[in-house]
Amino acid sequence: MKSILSIATAIAALVFHVLPAQADAGKCEPDKLATKYPGLAGKTIRIGQDGESPPYSYRDPNNFDNLIGLDADMARAAFACIGVPVEFKTGAWSGLLPAVIAGQLDVMWDTLYYTPERAKSVDFVSYMIAATGGLVAKGNPKSIKSLDDVCGKRATAGLGTVEEAAFRDLSTKCVAAGKGEISIVTYPDMPGGTRLVSNDRADVLMSDLGMVNTLVKNNPDQFDRGFMIITNFKIAVGYTKDNKDLGQALLDALTILRSDGTEKKLFEKYGVDYAISQPSEILTK
Amino acid sequence: MPAVRLLFALFLLAQLAPAFGQSAVTGGTGSSDCIIGCDNAPLSAPDLNKMGSTGGAAPPPAPIAPTVKSPTRSALSPISEMLGYVVSPFLLQGAWLAVEIAALAMVGGMIMGLGLALLRISRLAPLRAIAWFYIWFVRGTPQLLQLVFIYDALPPLGITLDTFTTAVLGFALNEAAFSAEIIRGGILSVNRNQAIAANAFGMRPFLTLRRIILPQAMKAILPGMANDVISMIKGTSIASVIFVNELTFRSQQIVGQNFKFFTVFGAAGIIYLVMTSAVAVAQALLERRFNLEIDRSAGRGSGFGSLFGFSLFNARARERQAPTLAPSLAPGPQTLAPPESASLDWIRKVTAGAAEETTIEPFVTFRNVHKAYGSREVLRGIDLEVRKGEVVVIMGPSGSGKSTLLRLVNHLEALDWGEIQVEGKYVGYRLRNKMLRPIRDLAKARAEARIGMVFQHFNLFDHLTALENVMEAPLRVYGEPPEKVRTLALNLLAAVGLSQHTDKLPHRLSGGQQQRVAIARALAISPRLMLFDEPTSALDPELVGDVLAVMRRLAEAGMTMLVVTHEVRFAQDVADRIVFMDEGLVVEQGTPAEVLRNPKQERTQRFLRMVEREAEPIV
Repeated sequence: MKSILSIATAIAALVFHVLPAQADAGKCEPDKLATKYPGLAGKTIRIGQDGESPPYSYRDPNNFDNLIGLDADMARAAFACIGVPVEFKTGAWSGLLPAVIAGQLDVMWDTLYYTPERAKSVDFVSYMIAATGGLVAKGNPKSIKSLDDVCGKRATAGLGTVEEAAFRDLSTKCVAAGKGEISIVTYPDMPGGTRLVSNDRADVLMSDLGMVNTLVKNNPDQFDRGFMIITNFKIAVGYTKDNKDLGQALLDALTILRSDGTEKKLFEKYGVDYAISQPSEILTK
Repeated sequence: MPAVRLLFALFLLAQLAPAFGQSAVTGGTGSSDCIIGCDNAPLSAPDLNKMGSTGGAAPPPAPIAPTVKSPTRSALSPISEMLGYVVSPFLLQGAWLAVEIAALAMVGGMIMGLGLALLRISRLAPLRAIAWFYIWFVRGTPQLLQLVFIYDALPPLGITLDTFTTAVLGFALNEAAFSAEIIRGGILSVNRNQAIAANAFGMRPFLTLRRIILPQAMKAILPGMANDVISMIKGTSIASVIFVNELTFRSQQIVGQNFKFFTVFGAAGIIYLVMTSAVAVAQALLERRFNLEIDRSAGRGSGFGSLFGFSLFNARARERQAPTLAPSLAPGPQTLAPPESASLDWIRKVTAGAAEETTIEPFVTFRNVHKAYGSREVLRGIDLEVRKGEVVVIMGPSGSGKSTLLRLVNHLEALDWGEIQVEGKYVGYRLRNKMLRPIRDLAKARAEARIGMVFQHFNLFDHLTALENVMEAPLRVYGEPPEKVRTLALNLLAAVGLSQHTDKLPHRLSGGQQQRVAIARALAISPRLMLFDEPTSALDPELVGDVLAVMRRLAEAGMTMLVVTHEVRFAQDVADRIVFMDEGLVVEQGTPAEVLRNPKQERTQRFLRMVEREAEPIV
C-alpha cells in the first residue's frame, strides 16, 4: 500500500514538475541577494521552530544548542542558497504562527499545513504533502487499522492541529453512523501526547507520518503504527503576508534544492519518505 | 553565616557534579548517543544564532534521536544520568533565564503592586476603582493570553517588544495585580493606631508608609511574596509561546528528542529545587529581619536552626531570663532614677520652648467647636480657653467627646464648625471667604505646631526600640542632627526612668514603661503643648503611679497640658482647672476645689460618685 502510494506520488511529481522545474531552476547565487531580492538585503531572517518534533525540528542529541531535523536543515540550506543570514527562534508550536502574523518572526518552518483559513493571515510556499500516521500501543491492542476503527475509542491529537479537527469531524460522523463518539484529548506537545498512548490513556494518537514513524522506530517495544493516510494537505513554509521578495526567494531556493538533489539527501538523512516531497508553489489564498 | 555556608555547599555540589556526570555519561563505548560533555562531540557544531548563511554546515551523522536500546545507556545508573542533565549548560542557561526574568519581573511587579495597593486603600473613589479594575482584569485573564497579546498584538500598533522584554513586562504586570493584594493585606494588618501616632508627629504619608507601616506589614507580606517568587520562577515556562527558552521548555525539547521524560524532568526538578531553596532561604532571612519576637539586643545569628523556625528552645530560655532583665516592673520612686535634679533639668530644658514668654493669650482657644460622625453629634459647641503653662484636666463620662476634642487640637480630625487656635494660629486650616479650609500639607502644619500627644494605648511604633521611638520624629520630621537627637532621646528616657530599657522593643516593656516611652517621644519634639488622651486608662493599677509622676513633674516644669483622665487625685493635685464635659458640651468648669468638692451640676456629681467608687480599692 505504502509503496504503491509512494510510486504514484513519485510519478505524479515527475509528470507534473520535474521537467518545468529543471527548466527554470537556476543555481544558488547568494552573492546576488541585493539585486535578486532587494527586500531581503541586510536582513536576518528569523525562523520559528518548536525544537521538539523529530524528525523535522529537534535538538541535536550531541549538542543541545544545535537544532537539527528535516525542516531545520531545509531552512538552512534554502537561506544559504538565497544568501541571507538566519536566526532560529524556538518556542511552543502554538505561538509560532501568531508571531509570524505579528511580524515577530519572518518565517514559520515547522510542519505547518497550508489551509485557506491560515492563508488569510500568512502566505505560504509549499514543499511537501502531508501524510498522517496513527500511533498505537505495541501490538495494536484495540486493532485500529484505519480511521473507521477510531469510532468509540479514545483519541488524542495536538491542540489546534488539523488532526484534532479531523477527529472532531469524524466523531460526529461516527455518531451519525451509530458507532459511538470519539473521546478526544488534546496534547500541548508531542512527548505529552505519546505519554497518553504509552500510559493507556488514549488508544490512538494521530500526527504527522514522519513523526509517527520516528516514534515507532525509536521505541519499538512501546509503539506501533496503526494506519497511515496520505492526505491532500500541503505542508508549507509560512511567511509574513505580502513579503513578495521572501516568497519568491523561498520558491526559487526550494526549486533549486529539489533539482540539485539536496532535498532528497536531506529526506533520506532523516528517514522521511521522499515520496511526499512536492514541487514548491506560492499559496496566498 | 549559616545561610552562606549552605549556598556555598550548593555551589560546591554544582562544581563537582560535572566531573561525576561526565565520567558516568561518557563511560562506555556507545558515545554516539551520549548527551552532554562528550569528548567526541563534534566541536564544529555550529552556533545556531550565528550560523547565518553557512547552511552547508551539516549536523553530525547520528540522524535521529538516540534509541533507548543502547547497552551502555541501560548500564548507566539513572541517578548519575540525571545528575548529568542537572549540570548540563543547556538546562542551566534555561534556569538562569528563568531567574533573570523572574527577578526583574518581581521587582517591577512589587513596585507597581505597592502603587496599586495604595490606590486600593485611597480615599478617592475613582483611584480605588481604577486599581480594582486593573486587579480584577489581570487576575481574571490567562497569563498566556496576556503574554501573547503583548508580544503579538502590539506590533501592528507600532510597539514591537522582544521576547525577553515581553516576558519581564508581562510577568511584572501580572505580578503587580497579585502583589497589590498581598501588600494591601499587609498594610491592613498593621494597627491603625500606628498611623495615627505618626500623623500626630507630623510625619508625611509617604514617610509613615516607609518608616512605620511597611516595616510592620512585612511579616504579613513576606510569606505571600515568597510564594509568588517561586510560582513565577516555575511559571516562566508558559512564556515558551513567546520564544522564551527557559528550563521547562528546554527539558521538553530534550524529551521531545529522547523521550526520557523522568530523567530529564527529574533533573529539571532538581534545578528548580535549588532555585526555590534559595528563595526559601532568602525568605527565612528576611522574616528573621522583620520578626519582632527576636530581640535585637539579644544578639543576632543565634544558630542556623532559628532561621527555619526551630528556635522554640532558645526562645523559651530567653523568656526565663526576661524577668531579671526587667527590674523596673515593680512600681516605686526608685524606678525613676536618676531622680530629681538631673531629670528635672532635662524636662526644663525640653519645655524651655513652651515656657518662653508669649504675648498671645490665651494660648489655646476653642470657639463654638462642632463635630459629628455621620448623624451622631459628638461636640455640640465647645468654647474653652487654655492659658500658657496651664494644666487643664478634662473629665466626663465616655462618649462625652473628650478624646475627639483633643484630636481636633492637632488636626488629627477635621472640624465641622467653629475654630481652634493654638498660639493664635490655626493648625492646618486657612481662612478663605471667612471659612476655614483644610490646607493640603497637613503633615507640615502638624509638625510646625509642635503639639505632643500621648495616647490611651501608647501607640508606640512596635518595630522600633524605645530609643528609636523617641528619635523618630526629631530625626525624620524635623531633620535634626542624629547625634544631637540621640543624646536628647537618651536623656529623655533617663528622665522618665528608663535608661536601662533604651534598646528594648515596646512589647518587651510593661504598659507603664511603654507609656513613659510615649511621653518621652512626645517631649522629643520640644512641644509647646502636650495632649494626654486617657494616658493611664489602659494600665494596670500598680503601673499608673509612675506615669502620673512623670506628668506631675512635667506640669511643675511649666508645660501647657490638656489632659483627659479619670484620675481624680491627679486632677486634684495637678490641675489648674477642671473641665467637665457631657454629651458634647462643657457642663461646668473651675478649680479642682470647685468642681471636685462642690460640683454644681447634677451630672458632675453623679459622675464623680461613680469614679470615686471605682477608685476606692486602689486608694
